[in-house]
Amino acid sequence: MSKKELNQVLGHADEADGIEEYDNPLPNWWLGLFYFTIVWGVLYGINYHFVAHNSEVKTLAAEMADADAKWPRQAEAAAATEVKLTPEAVAAGEAVLTANCVSCHGADMKGGIGPNLLDTTWIHGGAPENIVNTITKGVPEKGMLTWGPILGPEKIAEVAAYVISKNHEATGTPAVGEPAAPADTTKAGSPS
Amino acid sequence: MQYTAGTSVAGAARVEGVKYDEDIVKMFLIASVTWAVVGLLVGVIIALQLAWWPANLGLPWTTFGRLRPLHTNAVIFAFGGNIVFTGMYHSMQRLLKTRMWSDTLSRIHFWGWQLIIVSAAVTLPLGLTQAKEYAELIWPIDIAITLIWVVMAVNFFGTLAIRKVEHLYVAIWFYMSFVLVIAVLHITNSMAMPATLTRSYPVYAGLTDALVQWWYGHNAVGFFLTTPFLGLMYYYLPRISGRPVFSYRLSIIHFWALVFLYIWAGPHHLLYSALPEWAQTLGMIFSVMLIAPSWGGMLNGLLTLRGAWDRVRTDPILKFLVVAVSFYGMSTFEGPMMSIRAVNLLSHYTNWTIGHVHSGALGWNGMISFAMIYWLVPELWKRPLAHPTWPTAHFWLATIGIVLYTVSMWAAGLTEGLMWRAFDDSGLLKYPNFVDIVNQLHPFYWLRLVGGLMFLTGAIMMAINVFQTISRPSSSTAAAA
Ligand code: HEM
Ligand code: HEM
Repeated sequence: MSKKELNQVLGHADEADGIEEYDNPLPNWWLGLFYFTIVWGVLYGINYHFVAHNSEVKTLAAEMADADAKWPRQAEAAAATEVKLTPEAVAAGEAVLTANCVSCHGADMKGGIGPNLLDTTWIHGGAPENIVNTITKGVPEKGMLTWGPILGPEKIAEVAAYVISKNHEATGTPAVGEPAAPADTTKAGSPS
Repeated sequence: MQYTAGTSVAGAARVEGVKYDEDIVKMFLIASVTWAVVGLLVGVIIALQLAWWPANLGLPWTTFGRLRPLHTNAVIFAFGGNIVFTGMYHSMQRLLKTRMWSDTLSRIHFWGWQLIIVSAAVTLPLGLTQAKEYAELIWPIDIAITLIWVVMAVNFFGTLAIRKVEHLYVAIWFYMSFVLVIAVLHITNSMAMPATLTRSYPVYAGLTDALVQWWYGHNAVGFFLTTPFLGLMYYYLPRISGRPVFSYRLSIIHFWALVFLYIWAGPHHLLYSALPEWAQTLGMIFSVMLIAPSWGGMLNGLLTLRGAWDRVRTDPILKFLVVAVSFYGMSTFEGPMMSIRAVNLLSHYTNWTIGHVHSGALGWNGMISFAMIYWLVPELWKRPLAHPTWPTAHFWLATIGIVLYTVSMWAAGLTEGLMWRAFDDSGLLKYPNFVDIVNQLHPFYWLRLVGGLMFLTGAIMMAINVFQTISRPSSSTAAAA
């Protein structure tokens, strides 16, 4: 564009309430940007769908595979974790319970939003593996979270140990450190 | 060729014998100022509720969930709508050299629109809603909107038909896209089968419903908060600054590019959803292509001000305009970036979106409206502002308020987005308790409240200024305004 063509008024002002308009050319960088985004958009679309055959489902699968390789699967890990009724496990479990469970099950564990943990009624089974399973999977339909991915198998085993240690009667397990106990560890496995 | 700038001298050319309908312009202007204060006040209240929950008051009518749609409807359709109508009725008559086709239709439009707003302000707190964002209003109100819109459109095209000029100035093209596209969007998205007076069932189901809704939602941004405001910019910016529009060619090309591309961009609200991926890709790439057409508007605004920059330093109205156009450019760059899959993966569901919304809404829509109001009041009522120094104070309050609002929301958005996706060494969520993340956001919510309060304070100053100006007896020296 020669300089002469710049800032020439169109002469429509009397038809635009006195507003003059120049007929300046489009700035080159603006045109360049416009063409660039169009070319980029078309190439992106072609590449995503027809060259790389990409998809969000595939991306997710790849991320999950990476995660599996890095960290073993939750369910398998849970199956391998035993509920150990050791004083250390029980103490650690108490901390987990205080941090996560008391808001629903009550500071005294006698229930609130969620059921009483110290009585003899177990809605989803009172055996250690049932307790671990209930915590891991949660009861989403009644508002209890799926704690598996949040706490991890280790903390779940600990908090289960604590619940069991507080409720021998209902779970039929011996108290912590009682010498006569036939077995102080119980294999807990997720039935799935 | 240049005419006197920065004065109330109307355009260089005037037809003798045409008497414009100034009253309708005044009515819409007063309505916009009033609804601006109401809408922003509700915004500040819900911002307080997010920072301090007891402000929900424990009453169903005042909870966040019911006041939030009240805020969005009040600012977009009450404040935004009325200011656009103010500008349309004012500039159209001048650009087309004719009075509006029908004064009666103008008044039906005005009172109908206000009635719709009042009914929205009653039904939303009562919890009566269709639960579609920006289209919450129940079906009887939707029908009223359609009827009033048709009244407005008939008057609009009637006025075009009796115009006394041949050439249509670019602002009119932008208004036309608003009148036509909003009608199509509103009717298509609101299709529903009434069940009772207050309840209805949408005719679309599932994914179709989602796609129609966000086709509507995005184009509400495009054709309610963008094109009519660009029309306002194309009339008021050169009129106020007295400078010729930088490029006619650019205005035509960016107009057509904008209206063509906007219509396709809706699926960027549904990335990573069940929407077929080809549709998501279309939404994403059309959004990226929107950068240049949007920036065409910003460029034409900023370059029109060449030669007026010395006055920007002293004239608060030009300051408002410069900031408005700059925020328009900023948010139309941010939006396309957020439409990119990988970016949206981080930004979606976070306060980043809220920051984006308000950099456009406060920065672009708010600031350009304030400029118009301060310029129009002395023009229309033919007297100087009651408080000529207040607009500068308003400008700084608003600008700092916007910066606090957007910066705090960007920070909050990035914080929560990154915390949601963080894993610890054993592959577990690093922040499994949602509350831990919310606690991190808390200071940002307070900061946003401060920004919102500053923005509201400025708007209240404007309202006082406007009402004191127009309630003073008109003086004979008025023309010096
Ligand atoms: C004093 C000024 C304002 C304040 C304090 C304010 C505050 C808020 C708050 C707290 C929300 C809810 C955010 C959330 O759900 O996390 C919101 C949403 C919204 N506001 Fe404002 N607002 C203001 C002005 C405006 C203006 C002027 C407009 C438009 C012209 C606007 C348009 C919107 C929209 C569209 C949403 C919904 C955003 C979304 O769903 O993503 N606001 N505002
Ligand atoms: C080229 C221009 C623009 C593009 C491509 C764009 C794109 C986007 C994207 C990707 C989102 C986030 C969607 C999500 O993750 O849910 C969004 C949200 C939003 N944008 Fe923009 N934006 C643009 C300009 C603007 C402007 C200028 C305004 C306001 C004046 C605006 C108002 C909004 C609103 C209100 C939302 C929130 C919608 C909701 O309720 O979720 N946008 N935009």
